[in-house]
Amino acid sequence: MSNFAPSNLRKTVLDMAYYGSTVHVPCAFSIIEMVSVLYGKTLNLGKSYDDPNRDFMVLSKGHGVMALYACFKELGWLQDSDIKNYFKDGTKLKGLSDCHVPGLEATSGSLGHGLSVAVGLALGLKFKKSSQKVFCIVGDGESNEGTIWEALLFASHWQLDNLVVIFDCNGYQAMGTTDEVMNLHSFAAKTKAFNFETLEINGHSEKELSEAFETFAKSTSKQPKALVANTIKGYGVSFMEKNNTWHYTRLSNETYAQALKELGY
Amino acid sequence: MREMFSHCVVNQVKADAKTYLLSGDHGYALFDSLRKEKPDHFINAGVAEQNMVGVAAGLAKLGFYPIIYGLSAFVPVRVLEQIKIDFCYEELPGLFIGDGAGLVYSHLGTSHQSTEDISSLRAVPHIQIYSPSDKFELEYCFNMAMQTKKTVYLRMGKADVGTVHQKTLQTADFAWNMGPLSVVKHSQAKTAYFATGSMVKTAQMLAEAKGYKVDIYSVPFIKPFDNSKYAELLGRYEHVVSFEEHSIYGGLGDCLAAVIANLPKTSLKKIGIEDKFSNKCGTYDYLMVEHGLDLNTLIERL
Repeated sequence: MSNFAPSNLRKTVLDMAYYGSTVHVPCAFSIIEMVSVLYGKTLNLGKSYDDPNRDFMVLSKGHGVMALYACFKELGWLQDSDIKNYFKDGTKLKGLSDCHVPGLEATSGSLGHGLSVAVGLALGLKFKKSSQKVFCIVGDGESNEGTIWEALLFASHWQLDNLVVIFDCNGYQAMGTTDEVMNLHSFAAKTKAFNFETLEINGHSEKELSEAFETFAKSTSKQPKALVANTIKGYGVSFMEKNNTWHYTRLSNETYAQALKELGY
Repeated sequence: MREMFSHCVVNQVKADAKTYLLSGDHGYALFDSLRKEKPDHFINAGVAEQNMVGVAAGLAKLGFYPIIYGLSAFVPVRVLEQIKIDFCYEELPGLFIGDGAGLVYSHLGTSHQSTEDISSLRAVPHIQIYSPSDKFELEYCFNMAMQTKKTVYLRMGKADVGTVHQKTLQTADFAWNMGPLSVVKHSQAKTAYFATGSMVKTAQMLAEAKGYKVDIYSVPFIKPFDNSKYAELLGRYEHVVSFEEHSIYGGLGDCLAAVIANLPKTSLKKIGIEDKFSNKCGTYDYLMVEHGLDLNTLIERL
């Protein structure tokens, strides 16, 4: 049985990070509720990851990829062995989004790539007169990249109302808070100014996420959609929350056990 | 050559409704006929080349065929990472056109000149690189791109130096499929000129001016480059000279050098842009003199 409960997805992320001795747990944790609602409910995934009639979900902030692997496990696209063997020599799952992995729609992690590809998918679906949708998760740190703003301009100009861009505003990037490194000020004001239909929510509320996606689905506006999701980097494990050293920290036996305990395991 | 390109694009869009041309706000008059006949298939992506390539990749993923047009200083150089990650890693079909390659934009300066486009791309897996010398080679290269459905970079350099060939090219005209074209052939020549793009014409004029009995080849296909077949061909000559309106680092000269390194009796001289930017403003012909690539300088050098 699929279990898209955020605590279950976080457990899979922790397992992967522990088995693979990897970093980037907190930037996966900030998008867990988003991907839980998207893969568990909102996305029309069709028969499988390569169904030509599927909705597309592009992870532009490639560093959060473990959150998607956790969903792919629930969808049966990945096996328990993929989780246990994460980062072992000769395995397929990498530390950033990679289009060679079934289900990952773009190669990202070099930031500012995924959104443009998502915009191209949305444009192509318009050419095909298809009702399929494109969702794209973009990081706030990633939005330092100029290509993000090029892509927003293009999507707005071409009235890609089949595109939902979700900004994971967790307030941190590699070397500090977004305020310290490159102050973004109000994200919602920016997307509104780019003529996106914009909603701002608590990105950890499944209810608010669901309602926002439903609002967008019912919208008759020709504008592309922007969901500004305010999140907490590392959400769900107290000692990781808003502690940027965990962007680079590997789990020990102790911290792994402690994190599982906080998640209720 | 540019008229032929425009003609090829319009024909392709008419023949295949999945073909779209994307431009980064360049090609003002070049696409008049396309915009007139198939306006829905012309996408002006604005002055935002990197996003344009990502968008093109999204289209290609859905089965569309994108032709991505720009000045070669921007496509491929500015968007090198998008070509690498969004296209080549995924082996998506698409044709990148780099117009005005080399020193064509002589008056505009270094930002618009492009002498590193081939070398920048050559190390990226899955890319094919074409560098036609005239309208007939361009037509053949364009059709090859349509057939292979690979990620292709087509370099369009100085376009008004006249034709090298007299008629439409066939596969049999090439030494081998995607190999060089014999332009001038003598019996028992000990020296061969291998040139690409605008410099094929120059190499021809040089040999004529000096009365040299050299074999001359045009090389429109820079990658793939069949080293074993080239070894067999180059091994027939004692001296080989390469000509290109491109850096001597990583271009045609270095493709040949990699083969000749294993040939004991063949020497190579590389003619191209030395390791420097253009210094002054001036006409195309002026800058070719500055870089020592004009006919008179070459007559003195060789």
